[in-house]
Amino acid sequence: MSMEIVSVAHERRYPPRVTKFTEPFWRGLREGSFLTTRCQSCGRLSFPPKPLCPHCWHDQVSWELLPPGGRLYSWTRIHAGPAIFEPDLPHEVGIVDLACGIRLACPLQGTAVDWQCDMAVRLITLSYTDGPLLAATPA
Amino acid sequence: MTRRAAIIGTSAIPVGRYQTKPGDEFQVVEHELLARLVIEAMRDSHAERSRVKSIVVAQPRPYTRQQYFSTFMASYLKLPCSGIVMEVLGNGLTAALAFDKAIDEVLLGRTEVALALAVNMESAVSARDHMMESMRKTGDVDFHAPAGFTPISWYALDMMRYMHEHKVTRADIAAVAVKNRRHAGLNPLAQYRQPISLEEVLSQRPIVEPLGLYEVPPRGDGAACVVVASEDYARHLGIPFVLVRSRAFFHEGAHQINDTPTDMIALDAAVIASRAAYNDAGIGPQDIDVAELYAPCTIVEVLASEAAGLVSRGRGAHAAKSGETSLGGRIPISTSGGLTSRGHPSYATPLYNVVELADQLRGRGGDRQVANAELALLMNELGNYNAAMVHVLEAHR
Repeated sequence: MSMEIVSVAHERRYPPRVTKFTEPFWRGLREGSFLTTRCQSCGRLSFPPKPLCPHCWHDQVSWELLPPGGRLYSWTRIHAGPAIFEPDLPHEVGIVDLACGIRLACPLQGTAVDWQCDMAVRLITLSYTDGPLLAATPA
Repeated sequence: MTRRAAIIGTSAIPVGRYQTKPGDEFQVVEHELLARLVIEAMRDSHAERSRVKSIVVAQPRPYTRQQYFSTFMASYLKLPCSGIVMEVLGNGLTAALAFDKAIDEVLLGRTEVALALAVNMESAVSARDHMMESMRKTGDVDFHAPAGFTPISWYALDMMRYMHEHKVTRADIAAVAVKNRRHAGLNPLAQYRQPISLEEVLSQRPIVEPLGLYEVPPRGDGAACVVVASEDYARHLGIPFVLVRSRAFFHEGAHQINDTPTDMIALDAAVIASRAAYNDAGIGPQDIDVAELYAPCTIVEVLASEAAGLVSRGRGAHAAKSGETSLGGRIPISTSGGLTSRGHPSYATPLYNVVELADQLRGRGGDRQVANAELALLMNELGNYNAAMVHVLEAHR
């Protein structure tokens, strides 16, 4: 269930903050694992990972390693962006429905890909010089 | 009898570029513009100044130097109040919340007359710098903003999905931009009034694919004032007024990306809130004569008009193309020119929509008047922020 790790030769443009609670997600991602939280009471997954269950408000959750496969619900190519993202323009982002039932939004990775709604995709780790980001690429 | 609220006066400056740069010799300041509008709108309403006991101000953009803007405006206009003096903020709903809270003040009996004010200045800040702030409004700031999402990229995601599911093209949806520019040509408050062709829309540079420059909102500044009163006071004044027949709100408990997959282009909040507003007014969507929507991009007018039941699902683009949603059509939508042509000073935009509908329902629409307009839909919906606020308005002439 491990994910491909693709190196990127610069720092993340807008690095995420890591909390004591979300640290396992970011550590896992750095190593090519996609982890999120599952409620120990109602059994539902959440993403982004949360220290409580938003569905039933139970406060005990556990970390779970999940398979990276899914489908592209939608995508776009961004040509106008904030100043710090200008070196990347245009760049692509998408919404992915994972086979595990989670929907998430992330960057899309790949050159000259003919992105299409509902195409099969898989999650990968983009390994920047200062840390990882989650992305999707054609399956 | 239940207390009801009415719109009795409005004023606004034409949407445009007013914001000055720091080095300019003479600066434009928000309060000078807004104070003049208050006096104009109060004159329009014929209300007595002493009846105003509540002022609700849409929080200005962070670029506005004057802070604590509501008490400052109350001071600038020497208006002591016993109801409330406050600023409100809530995404693109911000000015709609000012209108809604002004109505509440009247309905609660705290005042006979309430002012809803908004001023939005941002045009001198470049888009690339403006987006440094607005990117933090997309999804989770730690899990989504690092991917470089921009607010309008979410509408592009909606559009890709809509085109995929309903087998319509970018050109079909771009008919909305052409139609709304034609409307804007008839509106003195509109920022862009020269007619545009479908070819011109399609040949603009891409912003967020498939949306190009003319399919997304322009940058602009604006300010507006709406005077709300009790129905009794409006009747006492003996002038044409606009009754607020019903109001509804819904938020899905989801902020842009929901980890539980839903139909993103159904705009469930808009469906639920519009149905609730119709029910409370005892009407259906077929009774609406004219509608103003908070639709920053062409695709949003399509999705929102479908969600409100004004056109059937999957037919929103065709309705614009065929003239169904144009002036003179079955259900004119965005007679003001909409957000792509009248302009989109975001934290004031919902009040501009109120101004347009108040004009239509008081027979002041000029060349863009919808004949015999009796009932109007005001819908402020937040796309993938999954909230919608709806008011049904009624003419009393």
